[in-house]
Amino acid sequence: MTPQDMDELFAEARGRTASASSALLARVLEDAYAAQDDRAVVQPSRALHPAPRRPWAWLGGLLGGSTALAGLASAAVAGFMIGVIQPPILSEVTGALWSPDTTLETVELIPSLDGWLSEG
Amino acid sequence: MPLDDLADLSDETLLARYAVGDRAAARALTLRLTPRVLGYAARLLGDRGEAEDVAQEALLRLWRIAPDWRSGEAQVTTWLFRVVTNLVTDRQRARMRRPAAALDDAPEVADTAPGALAWMLERDRMAALEAGLAQLPDRQRQAVVLRHIEGLPNPEIAAIMGIGIEAVESLTARGKRALAAALAGQRAALGYEDEGAEP
Repeated sequence: MTPQDMDELFAEARGRTASASSALLARVLEDAYAAQDDRAVVQPSRALHPAPRRPWAWLGGLLGGSTALAGLASAAVAGFMIGVIQPPILSEVTGALWSPDTTLETVELIPSLDGWLSEG
Repeated sequence: MPLDDLADLSDETLLARYAVGDRAAARALTLRLTPRVLGYAARLLGDRGEAEDVAQEALLRLWRIAPDWRSGEAQVTTWLFRVVTNLVTDRQRARMRRPAAALDDAPEVADTAPGALAWMLERDRMAALEAGLAQLPDRQRQAVVLRHIEGLPNPEIAAIMGIGIEAVESLTARGKRALAAALAGQRAALGYEDEGAEP
């Protein structure tokens, strides 16, 4: 076979489109529809099973949203800073309540409470 | 939407429509792609029934991947040919390939009948070509079919077969030579005696 013969033979083959039987086409189309239907069913069910939320999102939801979470974080930071810096005004309050000769049992953080209790 | 209105749309556009549930796109893609995939699979396998199974499986994978199809990365047909090539290779590895159809198994050619009809000659040529292809090593057969029958450019064949362009050129050239040698004995019977002289 010469190269020309081969080229002619290939050209003939190229011109012959394989004919798919109607049965095969029906099977392929059935697969195509089924895949579409599967996706239509799967997509709504994803909403019923949302992806796991991040821990911060979960905590924020538990405490009442991101605003509450931000407030809680601010309070925590403020408390930490007060503990570290110990502003003089707070030291004076502490000194008034808890002088060097005061024992733990005699500290009254709410001095007026006894008065309220005695009044009934 | 009528199928005629979809005829001008690219495979990729139709696939995007299919992915969002367009039934007409499903029909258009099925009618457009199934014959191409089937023809390629049949030439590699030499078995119509197996080729139908492979074609259906390849298209099923296309349907499933459609929502995740990344536009512009590959042509749909290139992707499909690659899937078919891999499916065929898996089948050929999974079983001992049935004995290749020998050229002797091709239909007898009525070389003494001067009035043979053209369609009979063409039928005989195609049968001889199929038999000759079946005798080639798998990779040569894939390269020859993709290059000379499917008419794909070498870079696309390289992408389908997962090899370099030089390897494609080598496989194609060797495959074509081997095919010509396999068919040489039937040259006259296939009607080439008056169409060109032997070099």
